[in-house]
Amino acid sequence: MAKSRVAVIGVGETEFKANIPDKTYVELAQDAAKGALDDAGLGPDDIDAVVFSMAPTQFMGVNDADKWAVDSIWAAGKPFMRVHTGGATGGSALHAGYVHVASGMYRTVLVVGADRVAETPDAQHVLNLIWDLFYEHDFALNTVTMTALSTQRYMHKYGTTEEQYARVVVRSRRNALNNPYAHLKGKLTIDDVMNSPRISWPYKLFDICPRSSGAAAVILANDDITNRYSSRPAFINGIGGLTSTVFMGDRVGPYADVELSDEAEFVRAGKEAYAQAGITDPVKQIQVVELYDPFSSTQFPQLESLGFCERGQAQKLSDEGAFDMGALLSVNPSGGTLCSNPIGVTGLVRVADAALQVMGKAGAAQVAGVRNALATAIGGSVQFANCTILGADYV
Amino acid sequence: MDTYILGLSMHPASAHVADKRLEEMVFDTARAALDDAGIDRQELDHITIAASDELDGRSISSMLLAAPAGGYLKDEIKTTDSGLIGLCLEALRIESGRFHLGLLSSWNKTSKAQFEDVMRMRCEPFYTRPIGLNMSIADGLFAQAVSDSYGISESDVNVAVQTSYRRARENHRGMRATVPSLAEIATSPYVSVPLRKLQQARVTDGGVSMVICSSTWLSKHPDHAAIARLSGLAWRIDDYQLGAKRLSGLEGFTETFGKAASMAGLRDLNELDVVELDSQTAFHDVAYRNVLELPDTCEVSPSGGPFAQNPYFCSGLVNAAEAVLQVAGRAGAVQVDGAKRAAAHGCHGFAQQGNAVAIFEGV
Repeated sequence: MAKSRVAVIGVGETEFKANIPDKTYVELAQDAAKGALDDAGLGPDDIDAVVFSMAPTQFMGVNDADKWAVDSIWAAGKPFMRVHTGGATGGSALHAGYVHVASGMYRTVLVVGADRVAETPDAQHVLNLIWDLFYEHDFALNTVTMTALSTQRYMHKYGTTEEQYARVVVRSRRNALNNPYAHLKGKLTIDDVMNSPRISWPYKLFDICPRSSGAAAVILANDDITNRYSSRPAFINGIGGLTSTVFMGDRVGPYADVELSDEAEFVRAGKEAYAQAGITDPVKQIQVVELYDPFSSTQFPQLESLGFCERGQAQKLSDEGAFDMGALLSVNPSGGTLCSNPIGVTGLVRVADAALQVMGKAGAAQVAGVRNALATAIGGSVQFANCTILGADYV
Repeated sequence: MDTYILGLSMHPASAHVADKRLEEMVFDTARAALDDAGIDRQELDHITIAASDELDGRSISSMLLAAPAGGYLKDEIKTTDSGLIGLCLEALRIESGRFHLGLLSSWNKTSKAQFEDVMRMRCEPFYTRPIGLNMSIADGLFAQAVSDSYGISESDVNVAVQTSYRRARENHRGMRATVPSLAEIATSPYVSVPLRKLQQARVTDGGVSMVICSSTWLSKHPDHAAIARLSGLAWRIDDYQLGAKRLSGLEGFTETFGKAASMAGLRDLNELDVVELDSQTAFHDVAYRNVLELPDTCEVSPSGGPFAQNPYFCSGLVNAAEAVLQVAGRAGAVQVDGAKRAAAHGCHGFAQQGNAVAIFEGV
């Protein structure tokens, strides 16, 4: 039981696109921070502490870029820390911000981050360096080939087709039309996805997220501040995280603790978050999920591990439209990571978009009657998983 | 505060650990801390890591190091500021009431990193990178500023170097380096005027792990005893730009000490028995002592601080471990008699952009 309630009372996002040449890195972070402060009705002096969300700095070329951003986000003179768990960073940063307030030590925390992934000529070259020098560097592994392998395994286990993954892309790009900040958006057909250039089987170009620049921020607050400044906050009712092993081979086969292709880390992370949030039947109690889905194949195993359906059933439900806006479960009304991926903050964008749904501020992407929303993040070799449950009521 | 130290371990200090991969250093240190606390890894409900990708030479270093740090199938988060900021995050997790038994680990194999190249790449690309700023130059600017502000002379600094090395010589957990003569210090080459090479603490390889729990966990496990309580904690970041005020004011340093002391319920810093300072140069050591104005009853850096060992990224957490050992009566040859309250300081960033202070009490 947390010592203090924690709620999201302000959200800020910038537009996400490949290059934002008229802004420096720190100006991007500032735009998001200001957006969140304005949304919460607070000023910089109202913030007690800051958590910075930034994954590998090699993408944009300044080590510890968060320290450069300190003055721009009004953090000077305040407690400050940067969190980094690869692609899961944004979710982890949110959890770090959460414990600042839940501990009762701080009233308000700004969680903010920015990324400029396209500053590097090829992010996948940087991402090859995440692997073990002796065993995996030479294996041509990067995040695309890595997840392509687990996707092949999932397809083998459950009979999933490339067309079923293409349908996920079509839905995501369509949803993103309602999100003014999304990087990629539009009306695609399954044929469009199937005919896009092959990258790494089964992935085609449109199965893969873009390399985005942009920033996001949320303001977390305790009860006192929430009551004074927000009539419709998004309470953080549950957090869960799990780290497994970097070695993918240890996550396949009969002795694996967590199955790679099922993204089974989310079974345990979700169980913990659900227990805190009082979620016993996720299908009935959760209306929106903002999943970390940099590839078209990332949604199905997460939905299954998080208890929205049985193993191997997500693809069928997807075909039937169960994950469309306002259907059984609205999956990534924002368009998700498939449409915008500023890696260092993507997990935070998931939380921000989920919070907007609970706060009734999602604009054209708003789903009616959202009481609970779930946000996820994934990092490393799909070895870092975390999730956050946001609710209209405090549990 | 409701945060207790159950056990800890420090990797043996070394200028260059040549017989182990970083993963093995981290595993050995984490394993030893669990053993010290009498805890099985399965009992942990979370892990906190403090590490630097750039100094570890990997893009996401925790991918390979989370498991050796005990993180397999645990809720794990990494912070990248410094080892002592890792303690801040770990303490917040315990204080939140959501977590009760954790393992905190931080490390730095500086012998494998091009240290100043990593520091230079911390510069933003428009102003400081073109002029070639690195850590030594930032420390040189600091040395100039505090020398002017506090009237620190080079002879003061050289004596401080000797004092630090003499203390470090007694610390069996440190490098036990030979104490240089005043003449050797005074004639060592400049690295950034007025800072000379022997006035800098040399970077070393090392690591620290601590097992940390809540009072709730302790009350449910009467067979375990804490070795220290974390009673005060504060941290703060300052401006990125190295202006005169930031360099010589030491505002972040002094405020962080004051806030930690206040949280610990101390009337003032005079109630501290031990203070372990993260003095990366002897200029820092003299300037820090100058502004803290500690009484003679307080021993300052009995471990030798970074002059004993300086695994740069986690030197603040090494200080925390030394402080815990002091209040636990386990500091060995550098034990301060009757030490009940000890403060540990850590800093990070160019010319101490960030400061953190933790205060421990005996239990």
